[in-house]
Amino acid sequence: MTLAADLTPREAKPNGAVLPSRGLGDRVSAVFWRHPNVLLVTLLALPLLWLVVVYLGSLAALLLQSFYSIDEFSGMIRREFTLSTYAELLRPANMDIIIRTVSMSAAVTLGAVIIAFPIAYFAARYARGHWKALFYLGVMLPLWSSYLVKVYAWKLILAREGIITWVTDGIGASAVLNGILALPVIGGSSLSTSYIGTWLVFLYVWLPYMILPMQASLERVPQSMLEASADLGASRWQTLRTVIFPLALPGIIAGSIFTFSLTMGDYIIPQIVGSSRRFIGQAVYQLQGTAGNIPLAAAFAVVPIVIMLIYLTIARRKGAFDAL
Amino acid sequence: MTAAVEFLNVSRHFGSIRAVDRLDLMIAEGTFFAMLGPSGSGKTTCLRLISGFEQPTGGVIRIFGQDCSAVPPNRRNVNTVFQDYALFPHMNVRDNVAYGLMVRGVDKRTRLARADELLGLVKLDDYGKRKPGELSGGQRQRVALARALINEPRVLLLDEPLGALDLKLREAMQDELKALQQRLGITFVFVTHDQSEALSMADQVAVFSDGKIAQIGTPAEIYDKPRTRFVADFVGSSNVLSSDMAAHFGGPARPASLRPESVRIVDDGARVHGHVTTLRYLGSGTRVVVTVPGGEISVFLGKEALLPEKGSAVGLTWDSQAMHVMEQD
Repeated sequence: MTLAADLTPREAKPNGAVLPSRGLGDRVSAVFWRHPNVLLVTLLALPLLWLVVVYLGSLAALLLQSFYSIDEFSGMIRREFTLSTYAELLRPANMDIIIRTVSMSAAVTLGAVIIAFPIAYFAARYARGHWKALFYLGVMLPLWSSYLVKVYAWKLILAREGIITWVTDGIGASAVLNGILALPVIGGSSLSTSYIGTWLVFLYVWLPYMILPMQASLERVPQSMLEASADLGASRWQTLRTVIFPLALPGIIAGSIFTFSLTMGDYIIPQIVGSSRRFIGQAVYQLQGTAGNIPLAAAFAVVPIVIMLIYLTIARRKGAFDAL
Repeated sequence: MTAAVEFLNVSRHFGSIRAVDRLDLMIAEGTFFAMLGPSGSGKTTCLRLISGFEQPTGGVIRIFGQDCSAVPPNRRNVNTVFQDYALFPHMNVRDNVAYGLMVRGVDKRTRLARADELLGLVKLDDYGKRKPGELSGGQRQRVALARALINEPRVLLLDEPLGALDLKLREAMQDELKALQQRLGITFVFVTHDQSEALSMADQVAVFSDGKIAQIGTPAEIYDKPRTRFVADFVGSSNVLSSDMAAHFGGPARPASLRPESVRIVDDGARVHGHVTTLRYLGSGTRVVVTVPGGEISVFLGKEALLPEKGSAVGLTWDSQAMHVMEQD
């Protein structure tokens, strides 16, 4: 008696080499098996349609708008190709907005890299089982509550009457806080009305987007590679610099794309927490709304795209993706 | 002769698992030393204790007489060829090989020149500019070897370095490794689960079993005079005769090993008679399993020998000295 005879009831046992089709599903899957491209087209048709028409289409429309200009007298949009709208971006007031936004995005990204690295490293190298679950929960939990709720909560935390002031007063460190607030440019009358406050809130809301890709890339660095580095005489610092960091770089770049572009596009956080000076997002919001200057709003919106492209080109040139 | 590596009552326990258990070991300088054993026998842990990636839970490890208990891996003059080679994927072959000198602050020209020399040594002269991902398994293995040798270690550790290679390449690399060791005169410590590899390459073999060394000796000693049933069985699938059988065949009433190639099939003057149960073709010959009263005896027959038929009755004999009485069961 063979094994197959033991396992299968006699009546269900097929006689030939080919098993009978069990219905439409089997027949469709046979077509996919014979023609893998058909499967690919079936899977991708709808998302591709969405991507090309809705996503890239609106992006193209945006780009097109930025080459129009507004008639300052009538407030009407002149549908003729011109670079004058981009020239408007170079006005000192607009350049201030761009520099402010890019500096903030860079500061947020840098802060996120520094804070995320130890967390991601711990999760990738040491956390197992329950600890790993706890890590994911801890990183994702803030994403479950509304973004607005979090930002307003931070406003209360950072306010002059808030918990930070209360704690620093309590431990007699109010001089330190006042010293920080007295710093030029980044200081202010309270944390909630200073760039420091804006930076802290940005850092908080975008941190998970840095931790997760970083952790994923660190996880792919095999233990033996770190051991090989130590074996050949490298100190821990040298291993970090010459092996771990370059191998984690694609993840760090991925994370920084999130933190950088999300900061550049945000218009709510700087409105709620921070000085009243405008960021690109706010400028776009006001220009397309109350001011009705769609071309300039579009030109502003193109700035983050261009900056991201420059950033990625530099990263590529510097070999950031060599480990991919 | 000085001891390159010395283990004094060394243990490495992981909770209740005794990976290495109260082990004493002495590896003489300049030897090609093989640690042989099945997976989980503690041989790799032993290697990692020498490199410093594991710390002993008890005992003392000395490398060239110096106690290494408090010395981290990066300060041991010992290098490792890793099982997965662990080449740095973001660096080219030259930079990989030069890494050990780079972290020591040797200037770029000197270290790259030295890397080229070592690439020549492992016959990869024109591969310096490539990335590890563009190399074959055998080439990566050579790069790993060159990289481990650049710091001129006093002991080179090799963790199953040939495991990922196909048979043909493995045999070629065995010869090359052996020749390289003789040329450089460095102590090689080699971990493997392949008994033929250990026997053909090593000067000394330690057979590991359950975190202890079952036997240590030259390949010939290990093969011909196994001390325990485990060694006899693991090294070359010997026949292990029970004490009753051994006594019946004229030996002392102790378990004995009998190599299949020492047994002959004869018509007259047989020590024992039995029936052929299995014939297994091995390429270089055939292994014939004969059921005899009290057990089974395997016989290795060369190409020229006449093969008995399955089920037929045969008589077996061997020279008295071929039967090796084991010290322990």
